[in-house]
Amino acid sequence: MDGRRHLTYAASPGAPSATLSVDAASAATRAGSFDVVVIGAGHAGCEAANACAQMGLSTALLTVKIEDTAKMSCNPAIGGIAKGHMVREIDALGGLMARITDRAGIQFKMLNRGRGPAVWSPRAQCDKAAYSAAMIDELARVAKLQFVTGIAERVLLTEGRVTGVGLTDGRRLTACAVVITPGTFLNGLIHIGERRIEGGRIGEHAARALSDCLAGLGLERGRLKTGTPPRLLHDSIDWDAVTPAPGDAVPEPFSHWTERLDVEQVLCWATHTNGRTHDVIRTHMHRSPLYSGQIQGIGPRYCPSLEDKVVKFPERVSHHIFLEPEGRTVDEIYANGVSTSMPEEIQLEFLRTIAGLEHCEMLRPGYAVEYDFVLPHQLDASLQCRAVPGLFLAGQICGTSGYEEAAAQGFMAGVNAAHQVLGRPPFVLRRDQAYLGVLVDDLVTREHHEPYRMFTSAAEYRLLLRADNADERLAELGHDLGLLSLDQVEQVRGKVAGLAAEERRLARVSMSLARLESARLLDLPAIAAPDGAAPASPERATQTRRVPALDWLARPQGTYAHLVAAGLEPLLPLAWRGSLEVRVKYRGYIERQEKTAAAGKSLEDIVLPAVLWEESLHGLSSEALEKLRRWRPTTAARAARIAGVSPSDVAILLVHARRCRPGR
Amino acid sequence: MYSKGYSNDDTIVAIATAQGPSGLSVVRLSGADAFSIAQTCFEGHTPLAEVPSHTLHHGWAVLPGREPGFKFARIDEVVVGVFRAPRSYTRQDVVEFSCHGGDHIRGSMLLALMEAGARPARRGEFTLRAFLSGRIDLTQAEAVADLIHSENQMESIWALAQLGGSLSRRIGEMADKVMDCVAEVEARVDFAEDVGGIEVPAHVTAAIEVVRVELTGLLEGSEYARAVREGIRVAIAGRPNAGKSSLFNALLGEERAIVSDIPGTTRDRVSEQLRLAGIRTQLSDTAGVRATDDPVERIGVLHAEAAMDDAGLVLWVVDGSIALGAEDIAFHASSRNRRALWVLNKCDLGTAAQRGIEALALPPPWVAVSAHNGTGLDVLRDTIKKRFGGGGRCGEVGNTRHIDALARAWRLLGQASAAATAGSPGEIVALELREALAALSEVVGTHADEELLDRIFNRFCVGK
Repeated sequence: MDGRRHLTYAASPGAPSATLSVDAASAATRAGSFDVVVIGAGHAGCEAANACAQMGLSTALLTVKIEDTAKMSCNPAIGGIAKGHMVREIDALGGLMARITDRAGIQFKMLNRGRGPAVWSPRAQCDKAAYSAAMIDELARVAKLQFVTGIAERVLLTEGRVTGVGLTDGRRLTACAVVITPGTFLNGLIHIGERRIEGGRIGEHAARALSDCLAGLGLERGRLKTGTPPRLLHDSIDWDAVTPAPGDAVPEPFSHWTERLDVEQVLCWATHTNGRTHDVIRTHMHRSPLYSGQIQGIGPRYCPSLEDKVVKFPERVSHHIFLEPEGRTVDEIYANGVSTSMPEEIQLEFLRTIAGLEHCEMLRPGYAVEYDFVLPHQLDASLQCRAVPGLFLAGQICGTSGYEEAAAQGFMAGVNAAHQVLGRPPFVLRRDQAYLGVLVDDLVTREHHEPYRMFTSAAEYRLLLRADNADERLAELGHDLGLLSLDQVEQVRGKVAGLAAEERRLARVSMSLARLESARLLDLPAIAAPDGAAPASPERATQTRRVPALDWLARPQGTYAHLVAAGLEPLLPLAWRGSLEVRVKYRGYIERQEKTAAAGKSLEDIVLPAVLWEESLHGLSSEALEKLRRWRPTTAARAARIAGVSPSDVAILLVHARRCRPGR
Repeated sequence: MYSKGYSNDDTIVAIATAQGPSGLSVVRLSGADAFSIAQTCFEGHTPLAEVPSHTLHHGWAVLPGREPGFKFARIDEVVVGVFRAPRSYTRQDVVEFSCHGGDHIRGSMLLALMEAGARPARRGEFTLRAFLSGRIDLTQAEAVADLIHSENQMESIWALAQLGGSLSRRIGEMADKVMDCVAEVEARVDFAEDVGGIEVPAHVTAAIEVVRVELTGLLEGSEYARAVREGIRVAIAGRPNAGKSSLFNALLGEERAIVSDIPGTTRDRVSEQLRLAGIRTQLSDTAGVRATDDPVERIGVLHAEAAMDDAGLVLWVVDGSIALGAEDIAFHASSRNRRALWVLNKCDLGTAAQRGIEALALPPPWVAVSAHNGTGLDVLRDTIKKRFGGGGRCGEVGNTRHIDALARAWRLLGQASAAATAGSPGEIVALELREALAALSEVVGTHADEELLDRIFNRFCVGK
């Protein structure tokens, strides 16, 4: 690790460090021998390659075009509810996404601020070009990482083990482990109305050979679909007719290692569809490949096309649209909310019914894309294909959607590929440790019928997995992996100790309730007394009563700011105060979840050996047996989570597992 | 994932000895909290945490959480065996209560320990723990698997038989409503920008209340559960010299928790509390009923009639060795007979009354006992228990594990409702709701997680 932490990034228009990427490109023309090859330089591939290389392994990052590295193919934003949590976790473990977002972000927002703190989630609009450039810049500085340009054709095996990657031009890259992160390119097929175009993104290629190769390895594939809305020309929009949507006044950095954001934020805008828009959609519904039967892949319900919205919710007369700039200086506006695969002329027709878009021009039409994925029950908890040792998968190939989900898996797959090469045990996170743990566990223990996206409701220990404590949960692990420096982990240790010390101090300090109450009332702008007179005088008893400062924080509305306003010497840095408030306010619930998690841990620790699945396993119900053989869970806890496996099935499994364990 | 709670560390409790009448029963606890839970239900000379392993301690089993000094909180005189980890059957901390035989005492012990925090053991769970801890030889693995398998087969057949189709449908419907509530709350948490509005809308709070009221009804409709919770009144009545007082004494004497001086004369109504068939019972002895001109005796008869009207159950005692009297015939014709259980006392002396009983075409159950030598008292207790729905099938909801789960759901829904009213954030309300749903799912076995997103997406237009 070098001196890149604690950097304050100024917003810089344009693409920084473009020259570095050219250097990398020239190095990439050589084929060669590596510890790990990562196929695809999207959000998953970048994290995977970075993790491997930072852990000391020589790593090749294979991509078609280096300038498309970490390309944001769809919306120009990172984070959001649950996704923002994952980005913070990747950062706490030593991954890249948060730092890149801080460099490329042009509007920052903490979502859900008005709700419970467990679900506060950071999100940032990004300059797409700056994001790619910052990632290329970051990766180019990693000593052991080398960009290689080319198209992967097949995975090379020797005696069933991965030994490298063969490219379409005949070159070979040898490696002990391979991570495949192809995004939507695996047999990608784009639909715009009746038109069908091969490709993973519009104007790009489709990885057909690689998909066939995976099938040849015996991996069962499925087909998914996703979509993207049209991009509009900035100057064709009537900006007076739409509503501005600003970011937070004081932007909060994504990364734990960014001290302060010094960024001039841009505006987004909001408008909405209307009855006429929906009429256009209804009239031409037969031309939507989604409804004509042309598309077979399953699309995400949480990211519906406008066609879906109109059909499924006919009673809704209007749907929101957010107009998001794709960069600080570019002309391209992302029309968030109108994902569609209608023919181009219909897209333009319905767009022009919308307030502010009456004269809009499309730079690119919206489209749907179908692609292959590998059914993830064939993976183990390290994201390795069980049938092909040394082959790791991450991102949309595992059936997920989203930049953040991809980055999370990329990071985990990269670390695990490195661990395998280094002969270390798999790096697996528990569900009560991280959303990353929930993500991987959900992939390898559950049936999914649509692209998997993270939700906070997927995390049963949601109150433990907060964005504010990702560093407390994971930084030590990041340090153990060798991805966080001692300075970084010391910073987190300081936070842990500081919070504990402050909690002890606040339990001892008693404060005037009356002063706290007036501090609170001053906080409520609408109720402030007009002439500055003291608000409704508290009862006499309250005026003399004192309470421990900690008790005030435990109240639903009590904040650290009130304590300071009432005379407390503020010893806790501003950035940690939210964490303290949360842990004091929700202590009872947090402890309850910690207790549940601890109770489940005994099962987490029971390893189910692979040989178990070859046994007769009598006593199990036939449904349980079928499911268990399909998913081949590696721990008893994972077995218990599989639908159709009852507690008594788990009990019987434990008996068999103990019998299989050599030497008890 | 909320519904599959399963741990080898939590403390489990079960009756370790065979079902049915026996001299002694053993109720066994195993797990990390075995000592503290046992202590909550034990009144002895030395705190159990301080005694050495493998020792026995005399004392009283008591109901937990009742105000101290409430003497009827005692369940039974017991001997407690203490086995510290790892020198125990399961290699965990184990406490064994040896109590008197009989379903009612065993049942009370079990309920008391559950109230104190123990989870009812799944079938074969003690053996499983013994096996997993290495206490049982590896060669027995097959046998252990077979045991769990067969006991679970039995269990599911038994549970299904207990949980009738309509009841399981009703609980399923409740789970369904709770899942709707979860979807409503979760949608607002995960799709704040799309769904918006307040975190827990009023119609959700209302729906929670509806389910809660329904659960209350179900738990109350379970007559035995209600009897266990609230207790019952039983009046012993009959003609003079039928042996009412000796039956009263016999029932009390057997219940050693109760030692009482009986004040007053036999003409007074005398009441004592005891646990009868696992139910807290106020048992009243009354004056013999007969037409009389004696003003004092007349008052006694009036008291007896009042006691009968007050009681949930009347034990109408007749002297079984002689023929029925006019008062017996009159009682049979009265409305009070509807709540009566006929007891033919003095069966050791003769059965002359039976002919009369048959002539009255009195439907069973009637019970022949001898208060004098104790014959038939167990049958009497058992009949009383069945009367209150407790004969292996506790009213509508039978299985103690089901009652336990439903009561937990009821409590959690209350907490959800309270959290919503207090304006707690959605994820807090969701936590309570999801645990309530998991408790209901334990009874009807639905997989909540799979369905949650379906409901959200069907109801709300989310996503951009």
